[in-house]
Amino acid sequence: MSTAPDTLAITGWGVLTSTGFGADEFAAAVREGRSGLVDVEGAFDEQLPTSKACALVGFHARDHLGRKGTSFLDRSTSLALIGCELALNDTGLVVDDANRDRVGIVLGTTAGSLKATSDYSRETLVQDKPYLVNPMLFPNTVMNCAAGQSAIWHKLKGVNATVAGGQLAGLNALRYTRNLVRRGYVDGALVGAVEEFSPHTAWSAHHLHRQLGVQVPVGEGSAVFVAENPDVARAAGRTPDAEVLAVEIGYYAPTGQLPDAGEGLATTIARALERAGVAADEVWAVATGETGAQPLDEVEARGVAAVFGGAARRVRVKELTGECQAASGALQLAALLSHHRDDRALDGRVGVVTSVSADGAVGAAVVRGYSRA
Amino acid sequence: MPSTITGAEIRTCLGDTTTTFKALAEGVSGVSPLRFHDTAKLNVTHGYQIDDGDEERPRRAAGWLAECVAAAAAQAGLDTAGRRVTAIVGTGLRELRSVERATADDVPVAPEELHFAAAVRAALPGVAEVITVANACSASGHALALAEDLLAADEADAVVVAGCDATAESMLTMIGRVADAPTTSVRPFDRDRTGVLLGEGAAAVVLERSGDGPTVLGVGLSCDAFHETAPDVRGIVAAMRDAHDRAGVTPDRIGLVLAHGTGTALNDPTEAAALTEVFGAARPLVTGVKGGIGHTSGAAALMSLVLAARAVREGLVPPVTGLVEPIDEAAGLRLVVGEAEPITGPTVVQVDAFGFGGVNAVCVLEVTP
Repeated sequence: MSTAPDTLAITGWGVLTSTGFGADEFAAAVREGRSGLVDVEGAFDEQLPTSKACALVGFHARDHLGRKGTSFLDRSTSLALIGCELALNDTGLVVDDANRDRVGIVLGTTAGSLKATSDYSRETLVQDKPYLVNPMLFPNTVMNCAAGQSAIWHKLKGVNATVAGGQLAGLNALRYTRNLVRRGYVDGALVGAVEEFSPHTAWSAHHLHRQLGVQVPVGEGSAVFVAENPDVARAAGRTPDAEVLAVEIGYYAPTGQLPDAGEGLATTIARALERAGVAADEVWAVATGETGAQPLDEVEARGVAAVFGGAARRVRVKELTGECQAASGALQLAALLSHHRDDRALDGRVGVVTSVSADGAVGAAVVRGYSRA
Repeated sequence: MPSTITGAEIRTCLGDTTTTFKALAEGVSGVSPLRFHDTAKLNVTHGYQIDDGDEERPRRAAGWLAECVAAAAAQAGLDTAGRRVTAIVGTGLRELRSVERATADDVPVAPEELHFAAAVRAALPGVAEVITVANACSASGHALALAEDLLAADEADAVVVAGCDATAESMLTMIGRVADAPTTSVRPFDRDRTGVLLGEGAAAVVLERSGDGPTVLGVGLSCDAFHETAPDVRGIVAAMRDAHDRAGVTPDRIGLVLAHGTGTALNDPTEAAALTEVFGAARPLVTGVKGGIGHTSGAAALMSLVLAARAVREGLVPPVTGLVEPIDEAAGLRLVVGEAEPITGPTVVQVDAFGFGGVNAVCVLEVTP
């Protein structure tokens, strides 16, 4: 067994969504319940299925990162790079030659940049000979492009990993990071998730949502946290915004088999609370992933109700950011931390993040938050 | 903390573990003309593809993955009832090919179909958790490192570690863009090598805290943070040294290295330089499998690992298929050229895997015949 701690200290974070840019702006939007739903008609080069979305209209990487080296970045990679930049600007951790080998990146994504990939395939499939594909596009077709480019951009040489997993991607990435720290692979990592909005993703979400009867608008964005070995952060005098006390993943069986869906989540939450050494009645808020797909949301509602009754407050980030697929879990955590950021009354209180995926996976993270006030 | 591989199966263009090993030992290559793609457009004519019918089946990667997971679990006698079993799938491209076909045919793809939870659950009911790690060509090596941790922390009783990838048009395009003329075979470490070709398939192993089978001593990881596609000798050396430290071995204890060996202009000299730097006077046998089965992307690390274990058990190290005249940078390496080399007794093996984005995973395992 390793001797490294079983927990993570979050010492800074960054969010980029249509609701806000950076932790402070996002936190204000969450506190005020300000939605990022905007008019997207005519904002993209192809027709969209809906006129409104929680999209970053007019977003260009160069406006945030400068012109140098940004012209060929796909959207997912740009969102990830900026999320990393915002998180690094929000923490006391300074990455330099002394520690860059010990700081990694763990990102959750749905499918890299679907747009870059499909553009590439389309060019491949439909162009006349002699066909010419922009060779600068091609690293973008690799699914771990965002994490790899972020490492190069920010010069982070610690373990670099891309975790896939839809709704669970955020919690999976968090858990993966906790394990890397625990095994001494890294002292810290930028951990988060990213999801892009494009005509391609909008249409595929639209078809899927129509099948499921989902009304939630589609969104995009990234949320990235600086997660450190708590001992290392403490020794350096950095105070955490949050402690990730436990991340647990479980599953539920198809309808009619065991474990029942709600029970699957309830068991997972209970296990996470037990690992964290926290009682259910100490939990002040649950940041749920509610996707708008009724069967999934019912699983989540039943699981949460079974553990907390109606006692804990619900934090529903998708009311503000829309459905951001793989970025959901990370944005839920960001929303939870948003409530802590300026509110000393919540110092030391514990919240829970829950995720439910259509493929039978459920997850729960237990997080103790602190203010910066 | 060592863990044991209690079951393993791979699926390559040469068949399962047994037929693949036999073909490699005889220096046979599985290369063939590309099956489902417009080769004239791609500037790629060949690949190491699995012959599974004249029509391209949907979700091929997921299919081979399910086969291998079921076979490895059966070998290990893995019972998910009452035990905590996690699955970790390493992949370069997930079901990217399904996205391409959806784009071409305008059929929407469900996001859930892009990772592999459903495929694994179908093959192994009762698995508690399925994690997909998309880490390019070293993905299944990263998956193995994570699996070790879950066992060490007592968060699982057994972990199914797997890797899979199918030929994707965008990857073919990529290869076609960087090649002057189409390559017809992968020739790792050879002076006349002309580049890489895609392989495809899947690999799965069952990892437990104890049992009969090869022992995973440690996995080293690093990230170059240097270039999207070009490897960096410093990052690779760092991963090798991390692996040795974690495994508690010095280079002279390692008897066999399964090189990443992609046959590209950049990889081979870089990897050869890193091996020379790390091993110095210690001269383990060095071989590689991509000349026989192509570059299997996310499955590559585990493919090499399973075939290395088989080699020690059979007492025979297959030659590097396609290697005739080694490059100067490999002058200090004992590359297995032309004929298979005998190997005896328990052997510590190093398995290299390096991926785009500079993600490196080096595994060290001990195999007893």
